[in-house]
Amino acid sequence: MRGQLSAGRNSQVFLWVLLIVLLGIIVMPIFWVILGSFKTAFEIANYPFSLPASWNLDNLIGAWQLGNFKTYFFNSAFITVVGMIIVFLVACPAGYVFAQMTFPGNQILFYLFILGLSLPVQAIIIPVFFQLKTMGLVDSLTGITLVSVGMALPFSVFLMRNTFKDVPKELRESAYVDGAGEWRTYLKIMLPLAKPGIVALMVFTFMNIWNDFMLPLVLLISEDKYTIPLGLLSFQGNNASNYGLIFGGTLISMVPSVIVYLIFQRQFVEGMSAGSDK
Amino acid sequence: MNSVNPSPAQSMYDVKPRMQLRLWRRKAKRLLVVLSFLAPALLLYGIFMLYPMIDAIRLSLFDWDGASPTMNFVGVDNYINLLKDGIFLQSLLHNLVWVVISLILVVIPTLVLAVMISKVRVGKLFFRSGFYLPSVISLAVVGVLWAKIYDPLMGPVNVFLQQIGLESLARNWLGEEWTVLPALVIAGTWAFYGFYLILYLAGLQNIDHSVYEAAEIDGAGPIRKFFSITIPSLRNTLNVVISMVVIYSFKGFALIWVMTQGGPFYKSEVVSTYVYKSAFSMNKVSYATAGGVLLGIIVITLTILFNYLRERRD
Repeated sequence: MRGQLSAGRNSQVFLWVLLIVLLGIIVMPIFWVILGSFKTAFEIANYPFSLPASWNLDNLIGAWQLGNFKTYFFNSAFITVVGMIIVFLVACPAGYVFAQMTFPGNQILFYLFILGLSLPVQAIIIPVFFQLKTMGLVDSLTGITLVSVGMALPFSVFLMRNTFKDVPKELRESAYVDGAGEWRTYLKIMLPLAKPGIVALMVFTFMNIWNDFMLPLVLLISEDKYTIPLGLLSFQGNNASNYGLIFGGTLISMVPSVIVYLIFQRQFVEGMSAGSDK
Repeated sequence: MNSVNPSPAQSMYDVKPRMQLRLWRRKAKRLLVVLSFLAPALLLYGIFMLYPMIDAIRLSLFDWDGASPTMNFVGVDNYINLLKDGIFLQSLLHNLVWVVISLILVVIPTLVLAVMISKVRVGKLFFRSGFYLPSVISLAVVGVLWAKIYDPLMGPVNVFLQQIGLESLARNWLGEEWTVLPALVIAGTWAFYGFYLILYLAGLQNIDHSVYEAAEIDGAGPIRKFFSITIPSLRNTLNVVISMVVIYSFKGFALIWVMTQGGPFYKSEVVSTYVYKSAFSMNKVSYATAGGVLLGIIVITLTILFNYLRERRD
């Protein structure tokens, strides 16, 4: 019995050490960027795996100023925040209707939404570009925000439908009998109950829009409209030989989504696991 | 209202349409309520996804450069030309190579990692968050980062090989025909495996523990348990993971565009990068649209196929 216990314990220690080593290997590229952002060009070239001699901020400040990251950051934030608000306002009621109301065409309309779920952006990006061109919305933050929302809807509606499916129908019926209208029932009773799903939806939407590359690449043309991922690419092109600056820019680009993830990881992971088994 | 009319027949004649009217009105009102919930989503989805889908098919049947005022109808010529286009076929082949390499790199290794994390008693959540971290970073940023990792002069891969005395193995990873695709897939795997890890961990949580206990009593070792309990119990999860690996191998764009733009000499060209180039730098707009439509058909067919396999088993 005791032997068994200590054997279990030894294998636990072994497992733990193994996982730490693996994790170290996996996150090495991230640490390499972090360390590199604080190193001088000389250090990067000669001691690629060492700690920086002193933690100087020249690369970060340089990248921020030279690279227009302030503008990119603002653009990314605008598209993402406005996009999240519209997704919330639009996808939640739609998911609610599909989950809780019966009406002719319910199924067909839902499948219509699901159709977009696995469609690759590349299949429609060209017509979208020319459509925005006729609407005068190419190279505009409004245009890319609307497209981002439209393309986020299949998944968002799907996720919210699953969330509202878990709310018992009787709740809605009893509120309805009490004389509350559909919108009142939705706003006062259903929406608060769906809060975990909504938080997951918001985190997903943030990640998808903030990290997106293809839509900004196609739909934004002038540098002062660029988002962070696109901006980093052009910054890298302009400073190809200055590794320190590129490390600084890469670090600046990584930080926002990493922070949002670390704050909301529980909701994020739960939303993801829930979305997959339905 | 009824008291004025003594004849029952007449009252029936009178009331029925009125009831119908009321019923119709209630239906209309209900439809309006449903619409008020649904219309904004339908509108945005319709304008920016549904209509472009139809427009893509229409556009692919014409010959258009994106600027000229006239469009010539050419039927399925664009599709026929694509299937004769050596670079397009090569791109498709690269997508298939991508599927194979990433299946090898992802499916089993990530499952083993998930089992290890599910078994560890201290720091489970820490490991889950830590291993997921790369998946949070934008693919464009991952691309910039990994291009530096593979850098022929200062990249840590080559520097490391030199330091351990294997400089003969050092090479221009993204610049050579045989290394560029595997190098890209490795970067892509780094960026994506965390997603599959979470799916596996969720699947593992649903396995009934008593099955393992029973197997232990029968004297089954850990490897035996892995193959005869874990894998069969995770059938659905495995299906989801495999289908996503396959689908993402066709959808991938950002990483390749940032790291190689399909080069050198089309050696890492995939359908999505070829479509983008054809449309936006070669002005073969309708031709590229046809390529995009083909890509869409491939991905949707695969999705339906995997769903069918999953449901047939249930």
